[in-house]
Amino acid sequence: MPVRTPHFPDLLFGPAGRLRRWEDALMGLLAAHGYRELHPSLVLRDTVPDGALRFFDGDDLVALRWDFTMALAGLLARSFPEPPDRVSYAGAVFRRPVQPWEAVERFEVGCERITPEGQSSTEADVELAQLLMAIPGILGLKSAILHMGNAALVRRPLEAEGLSPELAAEVVAALSRRAPHRVAQALEGHPSAARLSAHAKALLSELDGPASLGALSASPYAELLQEEVDHMDRALQALLPILPANLELRVDLADVAGLDFYTGPTLRLWAPGAQQELAAGGRYDRLFPGLGRPWKAAGFCVRLSRLLDLAETRPDLFEQP
Amino acid sequence: MNAPAILIAFPKGRLGDEFVPLLAGTPLALDAQALKSRVLRIPTATPGVSALLLKGADLPRYVAAGVASLGIVGSDTLDEMDMDLLELADLGFGACRLSLCALAGVSLDELRAKPHLRLATKFPRATEAWLTREGLTAELVPLSSSAELAPLLGLADAIVDLVQTGGTLKAHGLVETAVLGRSSARLVAARGAYLSEPGRIRPLADTLISALKG
Repeated sequence: MPVRTPHFPDLLFGPAGRLRRWEDALMGLLAAHGYRELHPSLVLRDTVPDGALRFFDGDDLVALRWDFTMALAGLLARSFPEPPDRVSYAGAVFRRPVQPWEAVERFEVGCERITPEGQSSTEADVELAQLLMAIPGILGLKSAILHMGNAALVRRPLEAEGLSPELAAEVVAALSRRAPHRVAQALEGHPSAARLSAHAKALLSELDGPASLGALSASPYAELLQEEVDHMDRALQALLPILPANLELRVDLADVAGLDFYTGPTLRLWAPGAQQELAAGGRYDRLFPGLGRPWKAAGFCVRLSRLLDLAETRPDLFEQP
Repeated sequence: MNAPAILIAFPKGRLGDEFVPLLAGTPLALDAQALKSRVLRIPTATPGVSALLLKGADLPRYVAAGVASLGIVGSDTLDEMDMDLLELADLGFGACRLSLCALAGVSLDELRAKPHLRLATKFPRATEAWLTREGLTAELVPLSSSAELAPLLGLADAIVDLVQTGGTLKAHGLVETAVLGRSSARLVAARGAYLSEPGRIRPLADTLISALKG
């Protein structure tokens, strides 16, 4: 049995004050755009995943809230016959760390944009990107990078080729490592090996501005993915004219983090030199149908604990108050 | 405050001996004087970029934690440690096999037939994966070096170890009975450094690939 040393950081005056200011400022931004706060319980009784902090309440196995999106989805599906279109949240989630230096208790602020069945979701994706673009300025980051990806760029070719779940997981793991040679190795002998390897090469070839989208023209799945490419192109055209001076917009075609959850566009906010992304989100249209509700949804979460760490270790990345 | 210096983690030992000469004349050539000393942080020909000389088994941790932005390490070590880092290229050199080796005259079928097979290795993860694929069970004897001695002295029935030329095996009367996998040097990168500062990291990665990839 491995011995774990959970990391529950205490916040002293400086970080505690910063956390309060940032939480208030971000919730204010979301409220100004029509997002209303929901506060799901800190203790969840749903199916408890690995990595959650579990304990017994009498005979029931329960867990501390491990994820706001999942907690909110359960709450919304249970409580609302028609979905509220914009919700926000703030508070802590508790998860066993994957890396030894990660904390168990993590502070987050986030939002969700929910669309009833049959309505277009394009506008919602652009709205979320616009909100994320405003966040570096609110937090006082001197500069930031917004990565735009799309989970469908990987998901759809894998589904079209009918890969087994195990093989698909191997290919996704290789893409996550940005290792084209591992993709080829995983697919050795499979009928789709040449096509999927060429696609992986196209996805991994660029990590730059909006022109990176052009790399997909070299993919054997360019036609299959035309709708996704058009969607990303439209979003980029809407965002580029309003890009703040301190923000760089990059297209990351090989973003596969959370691929089992995300179904469409993904967004990740970085600061130059930061070791971890500071905010992340995207479209997850399979979540509510899985709970019996025909709603589409997208959202993002700002990882305040990582930002607090960054403010301590790299104060040079922030404007001084 | 200026941006922190970029650190590149290089392995000490066999892999390092192979590629350090290949970097001569490139922007990442290591300072010859510092290399002769016992210093483990070596300046390169590019100001603000230094090399760390690390043991292979420690190297992925430095990169995964973002202390070093880039590194070179064998894929056998990567597969054993399964750290969260990027693997940008298979550099091709340092190629070797991860093999099951036993005393000459002992066949794979004889090992399979043993009711209690004992395998000595410093690659437990890869060994367990192979045992699962083969439908076998075995007691793993963890060793960190000189695994060749284990079958000779009765510590284990066979070993799982890296084989390059086979010279060491032959010297100990051992032979390869199965190849479990292949290993070569890989260029790895810290996920955060690569995604948040591609403008600084990618040119250095490209320099290493063009200098080292065979």
